[in-house]
Amino acid sequence: MDRQEILQSIKDRFAEEIVSVFEKSVKRVYIEIKPGAIIGMAKYIFQDLGARFNIASGVDGRNEMEVLYHFTIEDNNLVISLRAILPKTKLEIDSITSVFAAAHWIEREIHELLGIKFIGHPQLQRLLLPENWPEGVHPLRKDYEEWDPDAIRDRGV
Amino acid sequence: MIYILYMFVFGFLLTAVIGLFASWIDRKLTARFQYRQGPPLLQPLYDILKLLKKETLIPFGAPKLTFLAAPLFGLIGVTVVSTVLWVNNINPQRTFMGDLIVVIYFLMVPSLSIILGGFASGNPLASLGASRELKLILGYELPFILAILVAVIHADFSIRLGDILEAQARNGAIAVSWSGGLALLIAVICMQGKLALVPFDIPEAETEIAHGVLIEYSGVLLAMYKLMKNMLLFVLPFFIIIIYMGGLRVSGLHLLYGILEYVGLVAVITVIRNTNPRLRVDQIMKFFWGPVTILAIVAVLLALGSY
Amino acid sequence: MGILDTAFLKSLWVFHLSTGSCNNCDIEILDCLTPRYDIERFGMQLVGSIKHADVLLVTGSVNRKCIPRIKRVYEQMPEPRLVVAIGECALSRGAFMHSYNCPVPLDHLLPVDVYIPGCPPKPEAIISGLVKLIEQKQSPVDEVKE
Repeated sequence: MDRQEILQSIKDRFAEEIVSVFEKSVKRVYIEIKPGAIIGMAKYIFQDLGARFNIASGVDGRNEMEVLYHFTIEDNNLVISLRAILPKTKLEIDSITSVFAAAHWIEREIHELLGIKFIGHPQLQRLLLPENWPEGVHPLRKDYEEWDPDAIRDRGV
Repeated sequence: MIYILYMFVFGFLLTAVIGLFASWIDRKLTARFQYRQGPPLLQPLYDILKLLKKETLIPFGAPKLTFLAAPLFGLIGVTVVSTVLWVNNINPQRTFMGDLIVVIYFLMVPSLSIILGGFASGNPLASLGASRELKLILGYELPFILAILVAVIHADFSIRLGDILEAQARNGAIAVSWSGGLALLIAVICMQGKLALVPFDIPEAETEIAHGVLIEYSGVLLAMYKLMKNMLLFVLPFFIIIIYMGGLRVSGLHLLYGILEYVGLVAVITVIRNTNPRLRVDQIMKFFWGPVTILAIVAVLLALGSY
Repeated sequence: MGILDTAFLKSLWVFHLSTGSCNNCDIEILDCLTPRYDIERFGMQLVGSIKHADVLLVTGSVNRKCIPRIKRVYEQMPEPRLVVAIGECALSRGAFMHSYNCPVPLDHLLPVDVYIPGCPPKPEAIISGLVKLIEQKQSPVDEVKE
C-alpha cells in the first residue's frame, strides 16, 4: 500500500472518531482523535498496517493536556502521530499496554511526570523519580511549585 | 648469621630494585608500542612511596587477621625464593637436597596470598577474582612442573639446583638442546600465567570486575602487593635463567650475556602482553591442559631419549 | 616537602565518576589517556576501584538519586584525597540550574579543589587544570591576605 492508500483506509475505517487530519509534509501526518478511540486505532495501525510503535509523548497546554502516540511505517517512510486531547478536569485515557507491551514504561513515565492516569495499566507506579519524591507532585506541569526547602533554583552563588 | 644478611640484601633489596626497574622497562615499552611517551624512570618507586602515605581501610565484614596478613605472606614467600636462588647462583656448592622442590613450593605462595586476600575482603567481586585465580593455578602448574622435570633429567635426575648449574657449566646450557628449547618455551608461557599478565590476567581484570582481587586493599597493604608483583617480575625470569641458561656468572662477558638474557625475557613478556587479548577462564584451562601439556610431555620424552 | 609528599604529587591515580552527565566530558577525560595527550607521563593512571584512587574526577550535574551515592563513594576514598570538578554541569549544574531534579551544585556536597570550566573542556584544559592543582599543592598559597 502506498501513502495515499494508507491514509485513506484510516480515514474510512474510523470516520467518526477522527476530529482532524493535518499532513505536515510528505513524511509526517498528525491525526487528532477522540480519547476513547485510541485502542481500536492503535490495534488497526499496529497489526493490520504493520507499523512500529516508536514512543509516546505528553504536552501540558494552556487549557488541556494532550498525549501523542507516534507510529512509523518504514516501507513508505511515513510517521503517523495520533493526538488525544484530554480536558484538565478529566485526565484519563485507556492504556494501550494490552495491544503491545512496549508502551509499559513510557506510560509510567508520562503518569509520574504529568499526572495522566492510564486506565487498565498493569503496574502504574513511578519509574524514574527518586523514592523521597512526594506523591501527587508532577514536575512537568506548568503550575509546578518547588516543594524542597533546601533546593537552590538559581546560580547559588 | 650470614644467611640473614643474604636474605635482606640479596633476597629483598636487590630483588626489589631490579624488579622495579623491570616494571619500568615493561611500562615504557608498552607506551612506545602505543606510540606515546611513557612514565619517567623512577615512576614505580613513586607509586609505592605514594601508597605508603595513604590511609589503610579495612572493610567491615572482613576477617581482620587474614586481611592484614595475606600481603605479608606473599612478600615473605618471594623473599625466600629469591634468597635460595641467589645463594645457589653465587656458590653452587651451598645447595641442599631438595631445594628445587622448596623453590617450586614457595613460588606458589604469592598466588596463594592473592587468593587469601581476595577471599578475606568480604566483597563478592573480590571472591570472583580469587576463584578465577584458583582456576588459573590449576591450569599452569602441571606444564610448569613438567618443564622443570626436563632440566632435572638433563642434570642426571638430581633435584638440587647446584647440580643443575654445574651440569650446565660442564655440558653447556640446557636451552640449546631440542628438549631444552621446547621446555624453555613452555616455561615462558607458564611464567606469563604465574605473573597474571595478559593474556592470562583474568583475576585482576580492570574493566571487567573493577580490579577483582585487590578491590578492597589500600595504603600499606596495597604497596606490599605491588612490591610483591614487581619482585616476581625479577624472580621468575631469574629462575628460568638458572634452570635453562646456566645462571648469572659474574665474570666479564658472561655478565653481559646474563643481563641481556634477563632483559630479553622481560621484553618477551612485554611483547606478549601488548599483542594479545584477554582470554576467558575456560579458554585458559583448555589452552593449558591441551596443547601446552602435550608439548610438555613431548619435551620430557625427548629429554629421556637424551635429545 | 618530604619524600612522601613529592612521591604523592608525582603519581596521582584518578577515578572517574559520572553523576548523570551527557557523557561529553567523560569522552574528553578518556581522550586525555590516549596517545595524543598522554597523561601517563605525569604518572597518572586510571584505576577501577575507589580505594586505590587519589583524585576523584566528577562530571555531570548532580541528580537527586545520585546524592547519597556520591557521598558514599567520597567516604570510601582513603586520605589524602582531592576532588576535581570537570565541565559546566559539575561546576554549577550548567544548563540544568533551574531543573526540578538537580537541587544543589556539587560544592555544597563535596569539598572541591579544582574547577575546570568548559562544555566540554578540551583535553588541554583538563591537563592545565591538573597541573595547576599539582603546583598549588607543592607551594600552598595562604588563604586571605589583608
